[in-house]
Amino acid sequence: MAFQSRRKCYFKENSITEVDYKDVKLLRRFVNDQGKIMPRRVTGTSSKMHRKLVRAIKQARNIALMPYTNISTES
Amino acid sequence: MRYYESLYIVNPSYEQDRLDEVMKTVSDKMGEYGFSIINHRLWGKKRLAYAIQKHKYGTFILLHYETETIENLDRFQRFMILEKPILRNQTVVLDTRPEVQKEDETVDESKDSVDSQDSNSEKKDKQKAKEEAKEVVAEESGETEDEVVEEKASTEEESVEKEILETVEETVEETVEVEEKEEVQE
Repeated sequence: MAFQSRRKCYFKENSITEVDYKDVKLLRRFVNDQGKIMPRRVTGTSSKMHRKLVRAIKQARNIALMPYTNISTES
Repeated sequence: MRYYESLYIVNPSYEQDRLDEVMKTVSDKMGEYGFSIINHRLWGKKRLAYAIQKHKYGTFILLHYETETIENLDRFQRFMILEKPILRNQTVVLDTRPEVQKEDETVDESKDSVDSQDSNSEKKDKQKAKEEAKEVVAEESGETEDEVVEEKASTEEESVEKEILETVEETVEETVEVEEKEEVQE
């Protein structure tokens, strides 16, 4: 059985301490195509930063910078 | 002292004059409630992730302010909800005092944000740039073509002149010959 190398925390690697809800480009890395927040075991984010990230994504959704869901009827 | 950041979306059909009016009413209301404004600037017109009141786009305005009392925050929130041109607003508490931003920086930021937001708009811009470049090239080539045409015309004129000269010379020679012959006959 092959073991995947553990992913490192993106925020720790780039020494980011705060997550801004207006930084949509950054937040998009941590949601899938549907707009769902990816789990920590997939992204490798540290627990502390994941909590901040989740809050930022939810704030961005509230102010319509990010979608709640991405199931569009057009496609 | 506590610092807050409000981001609100204004109806996208509002032009600069009406936007200024909305911003002024908000600023006046903040003065009334005893908040001191740090930044109040236009963030730019962006595409919304989902439609709000059937609007696909929205004009985002960012507001930083500070206050000592939290009594009027609820009233301010209520005012923002009841204000008709404002589609949505959100207030967040800040840990540190935000930096005062100059107007020049806001323009650059809005440009960047638009680029990051819409890759389509970027593509459109590129296409536009290409088209403009093409037009410029076409204009230049047109100029060169005109020059070439002029040159051609000048060369044609010269050739015509040469032909005329030649014919004139020939006729002169012929007349001279004819005169000589007549003299001989006489």
